[in-house]
This record gives sequence, structure tokens and C-alpha cells, in this order.
Amino acid sequence: MMIIMHPGSPKEQIQNVIAEIEKQKLSSHIIEGVEQTIIGAVGDGHYVAKEICEALPGVLSVQRISQPYKLASRQFHEQDSVFQLDGFTIGGTEVPIIAGPCSIESRSQILEIAQAVKEAGANALRGGVFKPRTSPYAFQGLGEEGLEYMVEAREKTGLPIVVEVMAVSQIKMMEKYVDVFQLGARNMQNFNLLRAVGETRTPVLFKRGMSATIEEFLMASEYLISGGNTRVMLCERGIRTFETATRNTTDINAIPVLKKLTHLPVIIDPSHSTGDSGYVSAIAKAGVAAGADGVIVEVHHDPAHAISDGKQSLTPETFAKMVKQVKAVAEAVDRRLVKSPLPMGRVPVRVEG
Amino acid sequence: MMIIMKANATPQQVEAVIAQIKGMGLAVHLSQGVEATIIGAIGETHSILPDRFEGLEGVDIVQRITQPYKLASRQFHPEDSLISLGGCNVGGNEIAIIAGPCSVESRSQIIETAQAVKEAGASALRGGVFKPRTSPYSFQGLGEEGLEYLAEAREKTGLPIVAEIMSQVQVDVMVKYVDVLQVGARNMQNFNLLRAIGETRTSVLLKRGLSATIEELLMSAEYILAGGNNRVMLCERGIRTFETATRNTTDINAIPVLKNLTHLPVILDPSHSTGHVDYVAAIARAAIAAGADGLIIEVHPDPARAVSDGKQSLRPEKFAEMVRQVGQIAQIMGRRLASVQGEYLPLKQGWA
Repeated sequence: MMIIMHPGSPKEQIQNVIAEIEKQKLSSHIIEGVEQTIIGAVGDGHYVAKEICEALPGVLSVQRISQPYKLASRQFHEQDSVFQLDGFTIGGTEVPIIAGPCSIESRSQILEIAQAVKEAGANALRGGVFKPRTSPYAFQGLGEEGLEYMVEAREKTGLPIVVEVMAVSQIKMMEKYVDVFQLGARNMQNFNLLRAVGETRTPVLFKRGMSATIEEFLMASEYLISGGNTRVMLCERGIRTFETATRNTTDINAIPVLKKLTHLPVIIDPSHSTGDSGYVSAIAKAGVAAGADGVIVEVHHDPAHAISDGKQSLTPETFAKMVKQVKAVAEAVDRRLVKSPLPMGRVPVRVEG
Repeated sequence: MMIIMKANATPQQVEAVIAQIKGMGLAVHLSQGVEATIIGAIGETHSILPDRFEGLEGVDIVQRITQPYKLASRQFHPEDSLISLGGCNVGGNEIAIIAGPCSVESRSQIIETAQAVKEAGASALRGGVFKPRTSPYSFQGLGEEGLEYLAEAREKTGLPIVAEIMSQVQVDVMVKYVDVLQVGARNMQNFNLLRAIGETRTSVLLKRGLSATIEELLMSAEYILAGGNNRVMLCERGIRTFETATRNTTDINAIPVLKNLTHLPVILDPSHSTGHVDYVAAIARAAIAAGADGLIIEVHPDPARAVSDGKQSLRPEKFAEMVRQVGQIAQIMGRRLASVQGEYLPLKQGWA
């Protein structure tokens, strides 16, 4: 940490800052400039609040040198984190694809989509049962009933299931059903929820908040990891900007930036980051070309009649095409898709329901 | 255009809007809803601004249905526009890679860089001689002397040259030297400059403004096209957002969105859109995977000593590695990198 003093600040103020630094068990290093004095605080400054130093008399500004997060940082964990999920790994050479509807609407809907995405090459099934909808009057999800359908879909297809958790009170019940907890963009800084999910040992797909910086995102992931839940996947899902041609702006820079700053796997969600099925495939390819470890995509067998996110949902056929293209890009960057036990390109089976 | 009337609009106010539409030579389509009346204006509405109606009494909202640009729109020109650059056609199967230093600093620097980027696989040379620097105290460029060095580098390597034009008064001198006029982000809405460039027949690389929407970029392209200069390439170079981890935020969505809305070639500038050498190659690959027609990259033989943009400039060796990676992505996209063939053939320059 570098503490920059006001020009001409008296010796007592400088001594006071040094005393504070030493109280925090850090050593101080003083640089006397012509106009200003700079005091370096050397040591493990991760847990030292910048605010304490900022409030001391005579201090102009305080600059962090080390990152404010530790467990998520690549500085402290050089190797990529690779986790095993049911049937595949994430963070290594394999690029898994998670697909499914925005919301679980009915038993037949999720069973049909699960079968279709599996045949097209998906490695995990997504589907919301508690929906954080912008409007309180919009469909809010099927709740536990939806989880039972998800479990049935997993039994039929073998795909592990990824479901969003919205509240601390849902954790105990959901843990029994899901393979991966999704934490949505709107809950990225719901710190109570993060702490509670950090206490579980269920892997987490953690979405970046729509107006969160990369640093805030990593700080929030630190909440999960510090609870002992180390299996955290980060997900770029687009940020809010002035551009209105797309629902969000895919921060593609976040992919190589995160890969540099953290050892955690990074996933791209082109469905939310574009908001338009016409652009999903191009951005999925871009994500993997930029170094993403996985892709999460919304797929619906009948997007025009989807209860939510129909505009950005791919049909199983366009999803199958996207998978083929993403496969080629993965191979061009020396990665590969998860080896599927099923032959690709079969006609989806209709499920009676 | 759809004109939505206020819930309490009077029949006289509706009539006044209809009269206004008819006066413009457009057809009227009236739909009387339960709460509001909606009036459709049908016909050639590109050049009509919504504020012609917004000021009328009883009008609540005016919505455009057609795009406000025409010459740039794919609706009116479904085929991709191909723009010749040296030996290749930008916008076709070939991916153009424009590379070079931020600023032309000296004769030896630009000639050395030109040779290095050519060997690494560049298809054109960039280099600024008039520099729009944030600070008025920073290096402002070599001016015409720099153009002479660029022309010499072109003779030696066969690479066509791309240089930024900052002002209308530079048009005459620039068109004598350069193959492509670059319009920088800060000048994207310098409409006098755009009009002046529209009068030339020199190719243009139009950069998106730092806070410009995609629609505004296309409207600016329309200024150049409307003057009769149809050789316009668009360039995404990152936008201003709240994120500070990178210099700008690459709007990668803009690539497929622009390819959908316009027939003009789309180039990505990962040097400015990230601001950091460590991220340039990843974003260059992403751009080609998303469908970009080319790249523009800052390369410097000695980035630590560059007078500008050293932090985002690749060394020639790093650039060569990036070109190799981009080539692999291009291949799986069914495209290939453009290569410079043989001697440089001077393009017909000057005023049409």
C-alpha cells in the first residue's frame, strides 16, 4: 500500500501514519520527494482496510499495490483450478457447454429440452426454478416442483443440473437436488447469500453483476472461497453500458483479464450478454477464442412461446450448429469439447408428458 | 415512423398530425386503440427526423421503424461491400491485418517497423503523423515529414499505408500520400471533416467514438457515403464504461451487430480496446471468431521507448505469434489472412 501525504504535511502526521502501519504489523518504507512524502506499507496488506489510512490527518490518497483479494488471486495459487463435475472437468483442456431453458415451465418442457441439448452436445443442464424477474408480476418460477422435474431430467439424460439460488432460505432444500448452484448477476453482492453458499460444498456458477467491476467480482468470489467452498466458476454475462443495440455489452476483455488475475475457471454467457439469439453463436465463439473455459447458453424447443427470455433462446437445431462451431474454435486454441458418450447430430427424441 | 398520441389527444390534434404526414408525401395508417391512437407514417422516412412530430400537440411518443441511415444499411445493399487495400479485398474472404506504430517517430523507426510487420504477415502499415493526444503538451506528430517516411516504407515493403487525418485542412496533403484515411474516435462526429472526406475517393477507416452508439457510428459513415465515397471501413476500438481494469471495453457484440446492420467491412482494434499488450492477442482471436473482417494492431520495435501507446504496442515477435493464432481462427471461419503480393501498385488518388 502506498500512502501519499499532502504537500508540506508536518513530521508529526508522518510519524502518526508510520505508527499506524506498524500497529497493523506491516513495515514502513519512506520516500521523501521534493514536494511530498510517500510512505510504503510493506507486508501482507490484503486484510488491511484502506479506509483506516485514508482517514488519518495529512493523508492525500492511498493506493493499493497488492490485490485486495487473496484466495481468488493467481498470485497465491498459480495453477488453474480444475474441478471435476459429473462427466467432465472445468478449468482444464475441456470446454464444457451448459445449456437449457431460462425457466422450467413444465415437466414435459424440461425433459424434452434436456434430451435435445444432450444430443446436440451439452454437458450440463441449466434451468431456473426461482426466477429473479425485473417485474414482480412476471412468472416467478415453479419452485421445488421444478427441481423435481430437473432431477428427473438428470436421471433420463445423465446431465448434471445447474440451478439458480436466490435466497439463504432456499439453500438447504436446493442442496439436495442440484449439482451446481448458480448465483445470479443481481445477487453478486448479496453478501449474506454469498456467505451461506460459501458454507456449502456444492460447486458454484457465479455471475458478474451488471454494473460490477472485475475487482468487485473477484472480491465477491472471495466471500465464497473464504467459507471453504473452493469450486467457484466465474461467469461473464454482459455489463450495462450506454449501448442499446444489444441487451448488455459482452465485456470480452474480462475473459483474458480474469484468466490473468485469477486461477478460477471463466465461463461466458452469450445469451444474456447479447440478448438476441442472432448474436449468441458469434459471441460464444469469441468467448472461447479469447480463452473462456466454458459456455452457458439458453435453449428452448419453442422460443416463441417461452415464458421468459424467448428472444435470446436458441432452438435445439441452432444450438447444435453453435456447438459444432465452438468445437472448431476450441480446437484452434488447443482445447477441446468434452467427449460426448452420445453420437452427435441425432434427431431429438420427443418425450411424452 | 409510429406516432403515438396521448390518451387525451383531441380529434383535431390527430387530424393535425395526419395533415403533417400527408404534407411530407407519406401515407397514413391510423389505428384507434382503447387508450391511445397510433398513427403510422409510411414511405421514405429515412431523412425525416422524429422531432418534426414530437413538437406537435397531443403527440406522446414518436418511434422510428426504419433505420435513420440508408446508404450504410444492409437493407438497401444486401451484399457485403469489398474495399480494395493493396492486393486484398477487405470485407471478402480475406482478413486484413493493419499493423504499425502509434506514431511515426523517425525514418528509421517506421522503416524498421514496416519491414518487421510485413515479415510477420501484416497486409497494411499504420502510423500516425498528426496525433490527437489527450494532453496538448504530448508529442503531436511529425506532420508531412512523417508522411514522406510512410511513403518510403510503402515503397520498400509494398504495404499500403493507413494514417489518421485530424482536420479538413489536411485533406489535400494526406490524399497525395496515403491509401487509407483514418478518422479517429475523437473525430467520429466531426461532421465537417466527414463531409470533406466524403468528397475524396480515398478509402476510409472510420473509428467508433468512445461513447458513440452503433447507430451513431453508422450515421457518421452515412456522411462519408453521402458524399460519394463508398470505400468506408468501420472500426470498433472499445467504448468507455465503468470498468477500469482495461483502457476501454471491447464491444465485441458490435461485430455481429454491425455485420447484420451494414454491408461495410468491420475491423477491430484490440490495442486500443484493451490498452494492454497482454490482452491484444486474445481479443484479436475473439474478433475474428465473432466475424470481423480485419484487425488494426499497434506494433513497435521497442515499446518501452515508444513516444506514445507503448503499453499497448506489441513487439514484432509477439505480433508474429498473434498473426499465427489469428490465422488458425480465420481458417476455421472459412477465411484466410490477406498477404501482400509483389510490388506496390499505386492507387488512383485525389479528387474524383
